Amino acid sequence: MKPGERAEVRRHLAVPPAQVFAAFANAEVVALWLTPAPEVKLTVLELDFREGGHYRFAYDTPEGQRMLVGGVYSKIEAPTRVEFSWLIEPPDVHAGIESQVTVSIAPSANGTDLLILHERFERADANARHAEGWAGALQQLQRLLLSARQ
Amino acid sequence: MQSAEVLDRTFHALSDQTRRSMIHALAGGASRSAGDLGKQFGSAQPTISRHLKVLEQAKLIERSVEGRVHLFRLRQKPLQEAVAWIERHQRFWNGAVDQLETLLTRDTQ
Repeated sequence: MKPGERAEVRRHLAVPPAQVFAAFANAEVVALWLTPAPEVKLTVLELDFREGGHYRFAYDTPEGQRMLVGGVYSKIEAPTRVEFSWLIEPPDVHAGIESQVTVSIAPSANGTDLLILHERFERADANARHAEGWAGALQQLQRLLLSARQ
Repeated sequence: MQSAEVLDRTFHALSDQTRRSMIHALAGGASRSAGDLGKQFGSAQPTISRHLKVLEQAKLIERSVEGRVHLFRLRQKPLQEAVAWIERHQRFWNGAVDQLETLLTRDTQ
């Protein structure tokens, strides 16, 4: 995966790693924060927090739009690492784009350094011939466009 | 057109600083005229037209004609779909981590 094809957030949190890890592990706690904005409500439909376990979230916006997303926990190492797949369900414009979230929770001097990487994969339905041809150019363009908007 | 040929044209199109800047200028999504772009880049119109043609042949931008005015804009797909995905998820996680920080900090106070 090349830079520009992933979202990335780093944040220092003034609490111990175990507390940050717990915020990913418990459905009731997850529902309190894992949304893009306070007005977007998360309903945790399923959260089986173990390697191989599934999760499924419903996000409801004030405008009445609903996004469904789900995936599988591929790696869980308390209290330092959580990895899971992320797949938005139809009819969303980004439905079917496979992606992977990696959460790294590292102890730091007075708390925790949190790193979230969200990497996308090529569309499963992409025409293989074009996918191969375009991938490199698109990555360059994504970088250009993202830098233009920042 | 074969994909390898398209790719050659794409890389050629992106190899030039002025053309990369023109893509920046079109990144907002709005259509712009050749004259408008020419003013922004302080280039002679034939130079701008040549650059636009290279970008068009690489299928990075598309042209529409309104009367005597040629308008150019960035091609919508698949470029914008890919960029939109990244921006959406960047916003998502920024917002989520903001809320996580608020939640955890509140709990400890």
